[in-house]
Amino acid sequence: MEAALRIAQAGFHAVLVEKEPELGGTLRDLHSSFPRWENPRELIDHRVGLLTKSRRVTIRTQTAVTSSARQKKGFRVSLKSLRNENEDELDVDAVVLTTGFELMDVSVYGEYGYGIYPGVMTSLEFEGQLKKWAQSTREIAADAPRGVALIQCVGSRDRSKGNPYCSKICCMYTAKQAGLVKDLFPDTRVYVFYMDYRASGKEYEEFVRQVIEEKHVRYIRGRPAKVLPEDGRLLVRAEDTLMGIPVEVAVDMVILASAIVPRPGTRLLAGMFGARTDEYGFIESELHEPVRSADRVFFAGGCGFAIETTGALNQGASAAAGVIALFNEDR
Amino acid sequence: MGPDFHTTIRLERLESPLKRELKDLFGIDVDTCLECGKCSGGCSNGHVFDYTPRKIVQLVKLGAEETLMKMDALWICLSCQLCLDRCPSGIDIPRILDYLRGKARMKRIPARRPAIGLFHELMIEQIRKTGRVSEVGLMLRFKAATGEYMKDAGIGVKLFLKGKLNPFSPSVKNVEEVRRLYDSASKRTKT
Amino acid sequence: MSRQRVVNPEEKFPTVPGTVFLFRSCTGSLEYPGTENAVKETLASLGIQALMDPDQTCCSGYLLTCSAHKPEVSLAITARNLSLVEKKDLDTYTFCNGCYGYLSELSHIMMHNPAYLQMANDLIARWGYRYEGKTRIYHVQEMWYRLRETIGEKVVRPLSGLKVGVHYGCHYLAKQYGILDDGGYPTFHEEIVEILGATPVFYKERQLCCGYAVGRGFTHREETVQPHLFKKLTSARDAGVELITTVCPGCNVALDREQPHLGKRYGADLKIPVIDLSQLIALAMGVPPQKLGFEANTIPLDVVLKKLGL
Repeated sequence: MEAALRIAQAGFHAVLVEKEPELGGTLRDLHSSFPRWENPRELIDHRVGLLTKSRRVTIRTQTAVTSSARQKKGFRVSLKSLRNENEDELDVDAVVLTTGFELMDVSVYGEYGYGIYPGVMTSLEFEGQLKKWAQSTREIAADAPRGVALIQCVGSRDRSKGNPYCSKICCMYTAKQAGLVKDLFPDTRVYVFYMDYRASGKEYEEFVRQVIEEKHVRYIRGRPAKVLPEDGRLLVRAEDTLMGIPVEVAVDMVILASAIVPRPGTRLLAGMFGARTDEYGFIESELHEPVRSADRVFFAGGCGFAIETTGALNQGASAAAGVIALFNEDR
Repeated sequence: MGPDFHTTIRLERLESPLKRELKDLFGIDVDTCLECGKCSGGCSNGHVFDYTPRKIVQLVKLGAEETLMKMDALWICLSCQLCLDRCPSGIDIPRILDYLRGKARMKRIPARRPAIGLFHELMIEQIRKTGRVSEVGLMLRFKAATGEYMKDAGIGVKLFLKGKLNPFSPSVKNVEEVRRLYDSASKRTKT
Repeated sequence: MSRQRVVNPEEKFPTVPGTVFLFRSCTGSLEYPGTENAVKETLASLGIQALMDPDQTCCSGYLLTCSAHKPEVSLAITARNLSLVEKKDLDTYTFCNGCYGYLSELSHIMMHNPAYLQMANDLIARWGYRYEGKTRIYHVQEMWYRLRETIGEKVVRPLSGLKVGVHYGCHYLAKQYGILDDGGYPTFHEEIVEILGATPVFYKERQLCCGYAVGRGFTHREETVQPHLFKKLTSARDAGVELITTVCPGCNVALDREQPHLGKRYGADLKIPVIDLSQLIALAMGVPPQKLGFEANTIPLDVVLKKLGL
């Protein structure tokens, strides 16, 4: 969205092709954001407002790219409406790929019981639960879980069953989710099981410290090894590595901060435009060109690697700058 | 490490009244601990401690009061204050240990190393009696109590000859006040 | 690497062998001869002939973990045992997780370190043995799962109403690749238990190690093994388990023989019989209990057998 907006503001025309019925991607699923506890809905509404008003932006929701053919200075892109199966073609001079990310399928971690115990869910699923609680008009105190455990690095920093890389944003959003639970249900015990907490950004460290020191979320250093059922609750077993002793907590919900992976469609889409992807399916940039993947092909956001909202906005603007510079050259 | 822990600890069943006490009495908030280990890294006696300063803070978080009062580190800490000086969060570990030492005395939990406990007893007794510590007297009594008469005897003679030891140490003028202080304090804490 | 962790049983056994080499387990054949018999009976009714060799020695796992000798000795012992199997041109089937673990690991070491293979072969060449790494190592539990449907068809005595708690043991699922189920949450034994007509119970400490650990039961019995077993067995008892199955005679010894001692030490009331999965399968397939050697069990099978009408 950011890229389309900047390109339009610079005087050129942008066509926003979106698979879903609404714009916004994963941001729509979020209830809150770090480090300022803002509502992402406001950001989306603001941008969508500007985009719909702009005469230089065409929004094509529920539309997918089926194929593309490279032309002299651009592409002929074939589109298909997911609503009525109509097909049409578009001639464009540049492309910006922003297909975003999804979470890894963590059912391979049998030891955490995802898909086996109902109280175990991914961070994104939990975000939906937080939304439900916050937006509920009735008295939700009865719903309060007595204990919630959030486990970081599920599928990240894992050479054995998952991905070796760090998914960058989970330490921050886990702190956010943990803090939100305490705000909703102050008597609930909230535990975060971490190996590190990576808070490298403006106001990030203070954010996490606030969650620990003021909201009283208990941080335990140790990657849990087991989630076991006990008396209708869930037992999370780990080592407190700081003491070197095994510990366990009984909770009602276990939230898995699952690894961030590119959507499977990204690789296909990249291939259609001659863009390269890495071994995980993230789009690869060219040498010294962090948001360009191929000639006249740019990218931004989660499809390149795990990133937070501000970073995605910046990359979008950067991709737009690349397009604008290209178009100025063409003239 | 830790004789109390031979089963998995159930964290949600643990409360830490000690954590509360430290916050209320001294303003020490162990939640600000960044777990960096700078305290342990600089600890003068850390290589001898059974629990290093970082672990001591973690034990406070776990509410393991008994472990803390029985540990060796409690009485062999030198109070050099380096841990406090280095801590990025300014957690007053020496004060935590002071507090625990007092608690341990109240509960009559002896120091791991009997000689240390004895030394402290004798010193406190001397102050009570005379209002000050006479090194020679203290030394003599300590040696007598531990039975190590000849240890350090050579140094003692040298010091005496150099005029650095006064075997006859007068009491403080108002020693009665000192004694009354002791008695009222011990009545309050029942030591 | 992580993708090849779990394999389909059909992938592992594209064809079912007609003859296999059955590797004798010291603990198995000596402590629970009924288990060895049950394995043979089950293989027979599945149309598989089991050959053994009286010249086969202990896999040497115990000695290795108790540091009784240098690892090189175990490598040579493994090479010698497996060369016996290779003489018969068969694959090696064990019925003990311990043997399985040691044979797999030690043969893997030799196959990936030519120096070690050379050293082992040099040692055993003196008596005319030679190991080439041709024989593949399997555990009979894999074959039971591969032929579970056939087993289902042959059940004549469904174990209805019997609440069975499964114990997988550690050394099979601990392998990083080529195993039949996810070590994080395995269910393939429970599937077999259901096929036999019994009811599997997912008790809390289902996946906990037995604690015996090929030798720790001797060296660290009171300090670590007993508290550990107590945790596991009380978890099973509290979940209503009537019978525990194992696929390792070592685990069987731990879970079975320690119960009276735990009773004495902790005052706990523990009377859960523990048998091998093969014995359970044989029982359901109609093999008479007399042939399954339950006399060797410390915790008697009376209550269970009575419940099954035997």
